[in-house]
Amino acid sequence: MSALVQLRRVSKAYGVVKAVEPLDIEIQAGEFMAILGPSGCGKTTLLRMIGGFIQPSTGEIILDGVDVTRLGPERRPTNMVFQGYGLFPHMSVAQNVSYGLRLAQVSLPERKRRVEEALALVHLEDFGERRIEQLSGGQRQRVALARALVMRPKVLLLDEPLAALDLKLRRAMQEEFRRIHALIGGTFIFVTHDQEEAMSLATRICVMDRARVVQDGTPEEIYRRPATRFVSRFIGEANFFHGVAQSNVVTLRNGASFSAKVNDGEVDCVVRPEDICLPDQGGCDIRAEAIVENVTFLGHHRQYRLSSVLGDDIIVSSRDRSPDIDVGSTVTIGWRVADQRIVSQ
Amino acid sequence: MKDRSLSIRAALQLAPTIGVLLFVFVLPTAYFFVISFWRVRAFKLRPEFTFDQYRQVLAEFSDPLQFTLALASVVAIVTVLIALGFAYFCRFQAGPAGPAFIFLVLVTLFGGYLTKIYMWKTILGSAGILNTALMELGLIDSPITALLYSPVAVIITLVHYTLPLAILPIYGALRGVEDVPLEAARDLGAGRLRTFFDIVLPQIRSGIVAAFSLSFIFTAGDYVTPLMVGGPNASMIGVFIQNQFGNRLNSPLGSALSFVVIASCMVIVLAFATAMVSVTRSRR
Repeated sequence: MSALVQLRRVSKAYGVVKAVEPLDIEIQAGEFMAILGPSGCGKTTLLRMIGGFIQPSTGEIILDGVDVTRLGPERRPTNMVFQGYGLFPHMSVAQNVSYGLRLAQVSLPERKRRVEEALALVHLEDFGERRIEQLSGGQRQRVALARALVMRPKVLLLDEPLAALDLKLRRAMQEEFRRIHALIGGTFIFVTHDQEEAMSLATRICVMDRARVVQDGTPEEIYRRPATRFVSRFIGEANFFHGVAQSNVVTLRNGASFSAKVNDGEVDCVVRPEDICLPDQGGCDIRAEAIVENVTFLGHHRQYRLSSVLGDDIIVSSRDRSPDIDVGSTVTIGWRVADQRIVSQ
Repeated sequence: MKDRSLSIRAALQLAPTIGVLLFVFVLPTAYFFVISFWRVRAFKLRPEFTFDQYRQVLAEFSDPLQFTLALASVVAIVTVLIALGFAYFCRFQAGPAGPAFIFLVLVTLFGGYLTKIYMWKTILGSAGILNTALMELGLIDSPITALLYSPVAVIITLVHYTLPLAILPIYGALRGVEDVPLEAARDLGAGRLRTFFDIVLPQIRSGIVAAFSLSFIFTAGDYVTPLMVGGPNASMIGVFIQNQFGNRLNSPLGSALSFVVIASCMVIVLAFATAMVSVTRSRR
């Protein structure tokens, strides 16, 4: 069974500026994939190439076995939820949702049924006659989603769908997306710069940086085994401990060493804040002395900032409730070799 | 107390506008409306109520009236179509150069009305630029005299003159049309033409009606252009009205003619607006 969406050596260049370097991606039916990266990394360009709004400079795009590379957006089995929604301001909610069906010449009763169904799916049953300017941001977002979903696209594309919403609404809409994806079982591709959103929604994350895909995997893989320094910094918080590798032995600045299979040279040892024990209670493979610079109480955990010869900005998050670590005191921190990740510089 | 000072201030702010409108528009118009029902005897205006003038308008002037309204409709429709194309280009295709093109349109407004008329005389005349060029090229043997002093010359001149007045409201309306809904329409299966008719046109309706009205009303009321480039077959109603007030000293008939023209213009502009609304209505 071949993948639903296949990108083969797809790239986009604007003059000498390369927006997307040649890349190959295959997306299986039913996947909920996030394209994650900082602004300007080419993620939106990539999504718009799949939707047909931008012609790739090279390569081809295969959708469900059909080469759509040269087809415009109106002739592709994809639908997009746009950043800023792009609702038609002169039409009612129901007219917005039924517009695509009307163009596809779906009969009136069928159209009505599907519009009602789509509005019910996004919990806007009674909003059909409303005008767009009467809706809140979250409701507009739902209309945009209904308008795309009513077309039953083979692939639903979402361009920063939640960027304009406040945090609380964003959380609620994430829940909606997850529910709708589970319910209709479609293939969703969404672009975001918000790593938390990508982690919580996607079954697969494609991390982009400077026009390239730097890592492609499940959220857990990307969090646990970041491929590069960029990925480990971009996804969640991380501590970087500088070290030197020689003959498969890495030595950190404080003299602690461990064996690892890496090329000789300078490396970074990446450790997540929650993987550092404070204070060391045994069981740690690598230890270091550190001074507590400050403590922040964040509800479900405490965040410590420490300095040591390993670095000035070590972040440790701990759920330990014992409040007896004072600012200014010297403690021993430690972590297990299994919890760290070595990335070359 | 505060409300009163607020309303006094509002009245003061509105006073100049209301004053100007009242003295140079409302009162004169009312005066001419009243005398359109009066009689003239021995070149003297007499306050005796009569419908004679209106009867005379329908009996003697319905041909130039119809000709004027038809010509104004043609001018307004051609102008709106060209203006729409130009404004659309400036808004969606010219990129950052769009506002510069609109500025150029504004600049052409400085070229006076008469300048433009004489310009077209120079271009269209029998020894004009166009005829000379065609003869030099060997395409014609003798000058085409039908170019100037014809209804076509009037149409060309007035389309040229009213074009900036039509471009500006349409461009203004187009600036309010966002890009993302247009992409969304294409995403939902609409081609470029469908997108224009379903998404762009309904949003710029008022701009188009404004452009049509400006071009139509200006043309219907114009009497200089037909005199200068129109010739004997292009006598528009404005020429007749001017005649009644001038040579004939029959201001009641002139007034009656004016009010018939105003009423006809209102009917046509309203009809155009209604047609635009029904054409661009969103369907389910």
